[in-house]
Amino acid sequence: MKQLTEVVEEQDAMQSVVGLTNVFQGLASMRISQIKDQVLSSQRFFNELWAIYSQIRVSKRFGYGRDHNDQVNDKELIIAITAEGGFSGDIDQKLINWMLKSYNTEKHDLVIIGHHGALQLTQASVPFKRYFKLPQHDNNINVLPLVNLVKQYKSTTVFYQTYVTLMVQDIKKIELKGAIEEASKKARDNNMIISEENYIFEPSTESVVSHMENTMMEITLTQTILDSKLAQYASRFRSMRSANDKASEMMQDLKWDYNRTRRYISDERLKEVVNSIDKVELNA
Amino acid sequence: MSKDNKEAVKTLKVKVASPYRTYFDEPAISISGVNKTGPFDVLEGHHNFITLLEPCELVIRTGSEERRIRINGGLMHVKSDMAAVFLDV
Repeated sequence: MKQLTEVVEEQDAMQSVVGLTNVFQGLASMRISQIKDQVLSSQRFFNELWAIYSQIRVSKRFGYGRDHNDQVNDKELIIAITAEGGFSGDIDQKLINWMLKSYNTEKHDLVIIGHHGALQLTQASVPFKRYFKLPQHDNNINVLPLVNLVKQYKSTTVFYQTYVTLMVQDIKKIELKGAIEEASKKARDNNMIISEENYIFEPSTESVVSHMENTMMEITLTQTILDSKLAQYASRFRSMRSANDKASEMMQDLKWDYNRTRRYISDERLKEVVNSIDKVELNA
Repeated sequence: MSKDNKEAVKTLKVKVASPYRTYFDEPAISISGVNKTGPFDVLEGHHNFITLLEPCELVIRTGSEERRIRINGGLMHVKSDMAAVFLDV
């Protein structure tokens, strides 16, 4: 049987684990709520911008903010967003496996975001064109280098983790143009036409349209990164919750151990006292 | 300020926002910024206007105060006495 001091030490250690997992759970939950607010806010911004864009668009087609002189690569760009480090469970592996099913070196160029995914691709000897670290912070994510890459390809598909609920995360793929059109459906329709006849444009209609397309692409790409981060925080929350449950169960077991050990010690002392009394009585 | 003076001050609705934060969303007397052509002011009754903004300090005058917001660039849309500034991501 364990010594009472040993049980107390274990209880202290376990109490720290319970405390820490509680803190991590709280942090993950706070981040989840902050990101959700950011996603809602950027969706409102996108809708307002789309409402103007839809009125001044010169062409029905989304132009990816390209200039007339921009060369377009015939290949398709694939962007895979994975976690930066551990604690992400097997979801990154699932995402990479799924992405590799449609990946063809002749037809696609691959960009990987997140160290975890880059490591898995290297282990599988799959070459990638660019690697970006998954941003640590959740605000002001600079997606400009990604947007510049996207503009060079005829189409772009993004593979990313998505948040379904706090307990359920999934993997998803979207074609970027489709995602922008999907997001624009949430914006209200406006039949007014904005043209140089009823508006002053500075410096020109084309530059304004191109700027708006760039901004909307940046928002859409940022949202996929935020969605991935949301799924990762949810996965971390789930891990911390199960660690917390496990630690709480172990605390209960240690409580039993502590009481059992105390009773054992007390019984032993009682036995010693009774034996001493018997001895005294025998000697008398 | 007397009631008559209050009525005389003409304002437009000004909103300055980035995708994740709204910096200003109130009536104002004017908003000033800088585009490729140079500095410009927008007041109540301004013609419909869409412009790309250069990195600058936006100045919003409300009558009681002057708000300054440093920006890296963006787009301003002015229509029907409403000026909306969409800051760069």
